[in-house]
Amino acid sequence: MIEDVRAHVAEKLKELDGVVALRQTAVGTAPYLFREGDDLSQLVLEPRYPLAPIISLLQKRYPEAHFGVVGRGCDARALVEMAKREQVDADRLYLLGVACTAEEAEECHCADPAPDTELWPRAEMIGSPVEGGAPNPIVAEYEDMSLEERRTFWRQQFLKCIKCYGCRDICPECFCESCALEDPLWVERGVLAPSFPTFHLIRAMHMASRCIACRQCELVCPAHIPLTVLYDLIRRDVGDLLGYVPGADIAAPPPLSLTLEESPVQIELE
Amino acid sequence: MSESFEPRIVAFLCNWCSYAGADNAGIARMQSPANILPIRVMCSGRVAPEMILRAFRSGADGVLVLGCHIGDCHYISGNHRTAKRVPLVRNLLGYTGINPARLRLDWVSSAEAPKFAKVTQEFVETVRSLGPIAEEMGG
Repeated sequence: MIEDVRAHVAEKLKELDGVVALRQTAVGTAPYLFREGDDLSQLVLEPRYPLAPIISLLQKRYPEAHFGVVGRGCDARALVEMAKREQVDADRLYLLGVACTAEEAEECHCADPAPDTELWPRAEMIGSPVEGGAPNPIVAEYEDMSLEERRTFWRQQFLKCIKCYGCRDICPECFCESCALEDPLWVERGVLAPSFPTFHLIRAMHMASRCIACRQCELVCPAHIPLTVLYDLIRRDVGDLLGYVPGADIAAPPPLSLTLEESPVQIELE
Repeated sequence: MSESFEPRIVAFLCNWCSYAGADNAGIARMQSPANILPIRVMCSGRVAPEMILRAFRSGADGVLVLGCHIGDCHYISGNHRTAKRVPLVRNLLGYTGINPARLRLDWVSSAEAPKFAKVTQEFVETVRSLGPIAEEMGG
């Protein structure tokens, strides 16, 4: 698999200005812009790390360049959401899609463990896609939990938060120049754990119609808060209420900024 | 919950319809509860989720968002955003253990003074029956 990826990258480097992928060296693994002639034996696929924000930075820095990216399903979904919010130029990006293994899909509760290369203007697929993993069991059990159980569960989880902003910093969809979570109007400074409900629910609300379920926030969280349970629930609601699946369609505009004519919704008022 | 619990309700009222509706309810001497703390906003679409969440954090027992009826928005489609956003915030509150009934969205035009009185009375009673927010906020 990895040899295949390296061969495809080597081929593509002949025409592209560079390909973004993970590079493993003696000091660790980090995103890297591979150029023609670079040592591709250092190119690796593990550990997962969101590459979409790197593409965004590079494209803004080099407005003429054509880059490629070695991306998994979650990277492709992140790129789709960033492209429609003008953070990534889809026409200047070649996607070398990599299919995750069945174990990886299971571990991430990922419904879509391979990039949809049909969706992206220029793309190819390396490896064969596997079936999606099962959804997070906590999300399925949620309906049966009482308000009190939910409250106890989340108060305990949120109490662990050390407000490191790791969830936001790793998130490929968090690209605002000024962040509501740093605005003292909404989130008090110097308070640990951050006050409920502002900090965590503001972030959850901002994930509505954006979260592409890459699970990175949960992976980086030093307090092991199961953030993706909350984001999976809001993803489900955005799907039910607005018929929108983030990352699924590059032509579908973000629904929360559309009118009801453009993106209808069944509103239930009491 | 004590017998004398009086809920504190923050009501975001849109300048063009609901605030005028509240005003007319007052002019017509209709009874509307004193538990409502009105905040005038230019449009219900201005009511960011941050504002609703901060109201709860600051001790509001309920939050009411009132805007123009769909189709009557002074800004054509400002309230369309509200219509999509508020149900999501309600769900999020429910997921984390705050009764979603503490947040209510409704449409009140400037001519609907009786509706303003009715919605506020109903909502105050709903929230009164739920008790103080502090019990749901936890540690």
